[in-house]
Amino acid sequence: MSRVFSVSLILFILSFSVSASDDPVDVRHEMMEGVLDGAKAIGDMLKEKREFDAAVAMDALLVWQKASKEFGDLFPEGSYTGGEDKAKETVWTDREGFNKLLADFAREVDAAVAAEPQDLETLNAAAGPIFKVCKKCHEGYRLEGD
Amino acid sequence: MADSSSAVRKTAKVLVLIAAALGLALWLLTRTTNFPESELPAHSADPENGAAMFHAGACASCHALEESGNENPLLLGGGREIETDFGLFRVPNISPDADTGIGGWNLAEFVNAMLRGVSPQGRHYYPAFPYSSYTRMKTEDLIDLKAYLDSLPAVNNTVGGHELHFPWNIRRGIGLWKLRYLDAAAVINIDETDQALLRGRYLAEGPAHCGECHTPRDWAGGAETSRWLAGAPNPDGEGRVPNITPHQDGLGSWSKSDIAYYLKTGLRPDYDTAGGSMVAVQENLAQLPESDREAIVAYLKAIPARAKVQEASE
Repeated sequence: MSRVFSVSLILFILSFSVSASDDPVDVRHEMMEGVLDGAKAIGDMLKEKREFDAAVAMDALLVWQKASKEFGDLFPEGSYTGGEDKAKETVWTDREGFNKLLADFAREVDAAVAAEPQDLETLNAAAGPIFKVCKKCHEGYRLEGD
Repeated sequence: MADSSSAVRKTAKVLVLIAAALGLALWLLTRTTNFPESELPAHSADPENGAAMFHAGACASCHALEESGNENPLLLGGGREIETDFGLFRVPNISPDADTGIGGWNLAEFVNAMLRGVSPQGRHYYPAFPYSSYTRMKTEDLIDLKAYLDSLPAVNNTVGGHELHFPWNIRRGIGLWKLRYLDAAAVINIDETDQALLRGRYLAEGPAHCGECHTPRDWAGGAETSRWLAGAPNPDGEGRVPNITPHQDGLGSWSKSDIAYYLKTGLRPDYDTAGGSMVAVQENLAQLPESDREAIVAYLKAIPARAKVQEASE
């Protein structure tokens, strides 16, 4: 009996943790943190705060590439939090515009990965258009402020 | 009996006279004044400086044609709707179209609108059009700006009027608002021997109109200058416009080069990007000469540090 109880307890805890990590709000938040970490790595190189490192730059680009393919599924109907996270309601009310920018993001990141930047100049040329898409998306689909 | 009815008549006459005097005073206080053509300086227009003023003011961020598919910021056909506590504002067409834009305006009419918030028909503009900042602009810069605007494409687009709640829908009342809030004097005292700071103050408090979004407003929509640039509720609705004073709630941890880099690229020190309506503003500021962006940075580092104050309604 106690074994059944223990197994049930473990299953209950597991199911809870799985459902927590499956929550699209948590997943998109975590993915965005990863994108921001990539931006830090690449941004510091562009600002010459750290030395150019082709492998680190490519790792960051690959994180962005993965995010660009998966972001679209992380804003399902019903996942608007009413301002608790930074996703603006326009993500759901103007899905077409949001999807277009996600496609732009994927296209620019794919091009950057294909370019395999081996120096700062190439990285700058590849990352510039990506940052522009980030800005464009934050312009219309992210809540501002603290 | 006759005496008492004569006293009533006298009192009524006095009351009518007082009411008429008050009405006349109110009428005089709320009337518009025009910028006299004779006061226009002798200045030959420089459209290149006009373009710089256009970018400093990010005119297109509000006035660009609101039409599906339009991504051309130089089509200033207007039409954007801004929902506020005072009601619905519709952004006008400021393209040089003679019928639906400002193509028919002469220079004095344009200067009058920008410095005094008065239309060519002699009506007050609502201060959603940020003339309470533009009133600090030099007339020469306005002449240059008009020349630049005249060089842009005419857009034929009729924009409807505003729909405001009472009492804000009484346009004449803006005359009283102007008596209280319209002031061409600089907001912040600075070291006036420092040319970069002077330029930065001119740009930030005048054409760039930073205070219009970053400074909280009082009940009548006037800027609370004691909390200058300390952050405010977003005029577009959700979210908040950040504190950009040198306080730790604001840009305290940003270096001068961090702010300059942000104004040029839209990237913050943590490499997050600008968002919301600041994106269009930043992309316009990126087109200013570097020395102008640095002047704005010098000003932002020189203004008093103010903590953010959370509004009761937030």
